[in-house]
Amino acid sequence: MTEVDDLLAGIAVRPPADLERTTLITAGAADQVATTDSPFGLLWISWSPIGVTGVTPIFSCRTVDDFMEIHRRNTYVADRLPMDLASQVDEALEHGTTPEFPVDLRGIADFQGSVLQACRQIQPGTVRSYGWVADALSNPGAVRAVGTALGHNPIPLLIPCHRVVRSDGSIGNYAFGPEMKHDLLVAEGAILA
Amino acid sequence: MSITGDTDVRRRIVDDLDDGFTLLVERYQGGIYSGALRLTRSREDARDVAQDTFLRAYRALGTYDRQRIETLAVKPWLWTITLNLCRSRAKRAKPTRLLAQRESLSTNDAPHFDEREWNLRLAALSNPQRTAVVLRHVGDLSIGEIASITGRPEGTIKTDISRGLSKLRTIMEEEESV
Repeated sequence: MTEVDDLLAGIAVRPPADLERTTLITAGAADQVATTDSPFGLLWISWSPIGVTGVTPIFSCRTVDDFMEIHRRNTYVADRLPMDLASQVDEALEHGTTPEFPVDLRGIADFQGSVLQACRQIQPGTVRSYGWVADALSNPGAVRAVGTALGHNPIPLLIPCHRVVRSDGSIGNYAFGPEMKHDLLVAEGAILA
Repeated sequence: MSITGDTDVRRRIVDDLDDGFTLLVERYQGGIYSGALRLTRSREDARDVAQDTFLRAYRALGTYDRQRIETLAVKPWLWTITLNLCRSRAKRAKPTRLLAQRESLSTNDAPHFDEREWNLRLAALSNPQRTAVVLRHVGDLSIGEIASITGRPEGTIKTDISRGLSKLRTIMEEEESV
């Protein structure tokens, strides 16, 4: 230790324990996650100051570590969702999500982001085909890529990828099984083939 | 300003802003908070300044292109933000704030003995001396970096640090002799 180090010992202090957490969360560089009840059982929901960043039913993702592994974002566990967001989530899950629901798609590749944004325009009670989404992006040849992008939707239920079905009207695939997709569409009043 | 060091921070910010920013906060929160505490003499202000420094940095980094990030001297850049925030707080706080600070120095306001002691010691330094000592020995910035941040000649910075340390040494010797 030099003479100056000795002289200035104690001039530096430890920062408050929560400074890093609150800074990263306030900036939007880290998310928070909490569970919330839903008609589909408990859901993990993560959010940033902009909106929801991730949704995963707890039946497919048991622990918060698993959730972070899926969503690959720095995430802090919170006790519960903020009240205003919780009421928006409840409303969206009960009556069907709408394009106004706040989501945060930063960090998502451009094409997938465009697919998810197009998907958000599909109103509750209606369904559209993968081809419709590709057409909406002025990229009619991208039907398969649209399916892949929707299959990796980080915010299912709240970005309504379940409203995209096959062109023959059959349900098609869903990350949490076709039965759940069917139930979601029926609950929203969609008329299925 | 030198861009040596922090290569990993710059690379990670270029690859993933949130990931790189997390590393930046981890690395600098202690120094920035300590420096802000010594310059504002208030835990509450230091916390606000530290958080605001990083929030401003995050917003700015989001607008910088790759080349600008790759040539960014991260540490002096952060300290420039911190110093500006401390200065604008000091300006806003006059005159009642200074009075309150002076009063707090003579009371048991500071939560820890060491903190109150350091507040008292640093209060004896002129503003330029205090700033130079804090940037050099809390921020670990070079003389050149401090000169660039404060807009003062390197020779003056060296003198400020030397006189500041000398004054601190005298104060601490007096403390020990009491």
